[in-house]
Amino acid sequence: MTRLQRSRALRWLCTLAAAVALVVILFPVYAIIVGSFESTETLFSGTFYWLPHAATLDNYRTVLEGGSGATQETVAGSQSGNVLTSLIVGLGTVVLALVVAVPAAYALSKYRLRVTLVLVSSLLVAQIVPSIVLATSLFIIFHWIHLLNSYPALIIADGTYAIPFAILVLRAFFFSLPNELMYAARVDGASEWQTFRLIVIPLARSAVITVAVFAFLAGWGDFIFALTILNGTGIQPITLGIYSYLGNYSTDWGAVMASGAVAMVPAGLMLVVAQRYIASGLTAGSVKG
Amino acid sequence: MLSEQAVQSPGDAPPPRLSSWQKQQLAGWLFLTPAIAYLLFAFALPIAYNVMLSFEQTSPATVAHFTAPWAGLDNYRFVLHDPTSREAIVHTFEFTAGSLIGQFVIGFALALLFSLRFPGRTIARSLVIVPWLLPLIVTGVMFRFLFQAEGGAVNQVLMNVGLAHHPIQWLNDPHLSMWTILVANIWLGVPFFTLLLYSALQDVPMEVKEAAIIDGAGPWQRLRLVIVPIILPVIEVTVLLGFVFTVKVFDLVIGLTGGGPANSTQLITTWSYNLSFQVFSFGEGAALNNVLLVLALICAPLYLFLSRDSLRRSSGAGA
Repeated sequence: MTRLQRSRALRWLCTLAAAVALVVILFPVYAIIVGSFESTETLFSGTFYWLPHAATLDNYRTVLEGGSGATQETVAGSQSGNVLTSLIVGLGTVVLALVVAVPAAYALSKYRLRVTLVLVSSLLVAQIVPSIVLATSLFIIFHWIHLLNSYPALIIADGTYAIPFAILVLRAFFFSLPNELMYAARVDGASEWQTFRLIVIPLARSAVITVAVFAFLAGWGDFIFALTILNGTGIQPITLGIYSYLGNYSTDWGAVMASGAVAMVPAGLMLVVAQRYIASGLTAGSVKG
Repeated sequence: MLSEQAVQSPGDAPPPRLSSWQKQQLAGWLFLTPAIAYLLFAFALPIAYNVMLSFEQTSPATVAHFTAPWAGLDNYRFVLHDPTSREAIVHTFEFTAGSLIGQFVIGFALALLFSLRFPGRTIARSLVIVPWLLPLIVTGVMFRFLFQAEGGAVNQVLMNVGLAHHPIQWLNDPHLSMWTILVANIWLGVPFFTLLLYSALQDVPMEVKEAAIIDGAGPWQRLRLVIVPIILPVIEVTVLLGFVFTVKVFDLVIGLTGGGPANSTQLITTWSYNLSFQVFSFGEGAALNNVLLVLALICAPLYLFLSRDSLRRSSGAGA
């Protein structure tokens, strides 16, 4: 074999290796999508079908309309209300994260403040704190201030995933803005607020989108705070809805698969629409931050 | 700021308005106010309250009162003697070590693969992050589906290729269940390792790699003696964050095994949830939480040290 042939063969070998890796990585997602179209009989038949076997929309009907479904003991009702709840929580987390993080990140990168070192260190440490530690206390605190079972409580709690990360990512971004921009604005007579509002925010668009994508996925996908702060009688996000289909002795697999597939939709959308923001956020948040 | 002060000669009457420096300090603090308030309410208060709870004699009735009678070290004594709590701590160590090894080895291999040029690498790289985007509870139930003894894809594959002759009771056998949460968590964490290590590999200067080739270093030598030392800081941060993510894992295990069978996959997080929210022993749950918090925060100084450049960094367009 010539050198060229060998290197070409090596390249295709790499493609093959990557393809195998991707099959393993994507297979569970594929399985849940296929499973969501299977009938209850198929799901409980004791055989796993690699391709849809007698495809049906029954599971989606059960999940979105809350009908009795294929099994009699379908516990939870409709998930469509839960989808709306998750959307509200996700968007609420985005708003909270941006309101808190954008100005803070700006101050932590462009102002010389005594508190900067302490605050940035606290943010790094805050990322380490396990959610269950916060959840236990927040449950009692929210109970105490009569905020259990409410959107604000859940959104404040979900902010703990998004806010430290958001501040660190945005701060890293603001460092890349030249200081001359702010000097020029001041010389032109802009107030600090005007500089921030009219010059800095418009320039930070891409970093803001990155942070918003992550905040949305954090709020949408949260389970632990929903499980602890909501007691199941009021609002219920889709993650909690999925959990409610898992019985101790029998699981309504059709409903689980279909609601799982619905819960994956935002992730899929983000992957298509905001791909580059996700990749940049993943790396910026942890290494370059 | 300097120029402004220089302009104000001592003879001038002090203007009643704020100096430029004061204005900027004020603006900086105002920009920080929401964040400081948030950190105090959502992090500092719960952590402090959790410490307080761990020394209290709680009951379902005390939840309404915010405080409860003093319990001294009783809750910690409980945690140390409760067999399930002790098991949960051991499981957390096993789970974390196993996950990190798996995630690092696979993640690094994929990062190296993606840094080679081959057809389809862009699409492969963008799809590899899929597991990372899904809600964790979905990942949990997804693997519960795949690991079913009857009708689970994992057993079907193993039996088809002849590695198993009868369905393996992944989820019902306490000796095997740990493998299910390990596999699921490795699957979940690989994208993070891959992406971070991949971006570090991109930053290795071409000249360094070429120089090593000219010096006659083989691929393995280049990796071990040239590339790894250069990207070591990123490897350290990645493993550290991987550790932090893994000791926190909760949703995945609840969705996959619920901590069972026979508590064989009970982690500190899931058992703490059980203590606090299933049996309403908030004091005991809080004590176990603190064990977890200490465990997680062990790496805080290291994390701060590794982030020292970012901490020190200040471009200070302000005063």
